[in-house]
Amino acid sequence: MRKRKQAPLLLSAETCKELTELISDYVTGQLKPSLKREFEQHLSICPDCVNFLNSYKKTIALTGALEPTTLPAKVRNNVLDFLRKKMRRIATFLFCLASQFSG
Amino acid sequence: MQVSIDSGFSMAQHPSAAISMGELVSRRTSKAPRVTRRRKAGNQDIGLIERLKAGDQAALEAIFNLYSGKLYNVAHRILGEAADTEEVIQDVFWTVYRKAKSFQGNSQFSTWLYRLTVNAALGKIRRSKRNKEVEYEEFLPKFQDDGHHMVRPVVDWSDTLDEKYARRELQELLGQALSQLKPLDKAVIVLSDLEGHSDGEIAASVGLTVSAVKTRLHRARLFLRGKLAVHLGHSAA
Repeated sequence: MRKRKQAPLLLSAETCKELTELISDYVTGQLKPSLKREFEQHLSICPDCVNFLNSYKKTIALTGALEPTTLPAKVRNNVLDFLRKKMRRIATFLFCLASQFSG
Repeated sequence: MQVSIDSGFSMAQHPSAAISMGELVSRRTSKAPRVTRRRKAGNQDIGLIERLKAGDQAALEAIFNLYSGKLYNVAHRILGEAADTEEVIQDVFWTVYRKAKSFQGNSQFSTWLYRLTVNAALGKIRRSKRNKEVEYEEFLPKFQDDGHHMVRPVVDWSDTLDEKYARRELQELLGQALSQLKPLDKAVIVLSDLEGHSDGEIAASVGLTVSAVKTRLHRARLFLRGKLAVHLGHSAA
């Protein structure tokens, strides 16, 4: 017997659990307008979710404010030295090869 | 008092929701300048990659000067070790030199560079087998059968954080939590929340679908939030 195709599950923001699943798309402005309305309706009656949302947003803001690790000058010089040496070796090899053929 | 939490939505009942959306989405909403910047960088990249393909060694140094700082930051956040990061950066730029001719331009040059970096960093972790994975479950929100939060009331600690901790302490706290993420999740969150890449760009860089990127990003953010909550003496739920 052929299996009937299951209808895709429709997301909603009716419960706190469902809202939490959508929170990432909400804060990055990626929720469809209908879902966004539902999301905000839930927020207007649920202080727990408002508090959760605030702490979620704060976490993202703090992560974004993490200072980047700067490339140390020593590492920069080491890597550039390595690359120059390798490139020089290849250039020498190609030069020798070319002079063999031309000679 | 009416406090706006998002455009067109008014939070009359919950002034605590006043944490600025601007603070959070500034990286993503400031798309226009970033796109322009990227386009300029893209044009510059095309010139450099063409020179590199033609064997111009100075082009590699120019590419190194443009990208080494950003790639170092990404690799270091994923690996956590300075020595490993140096090796990865060295491998990445040597690969760029060797494989420049195979770069077809189907993706942005910068996406290729990030992909090389993430792959090299993840490969290093796999080979070293010294990655201690932390279980996320303890730090994720939990819900009752009816879908309500398991622990109520949920505390909004977002405002108290800056009062309780100095900026440096907060950075250390979050940096430590970030270092406990699974390697691929770490890569995803670093590219997204630290570097400001779009989900599509991240998907191309780490070899996942956009939907998988979103799932990982969300779980990683929930984990980080949970770690901060627990540190502050609240429930992650």
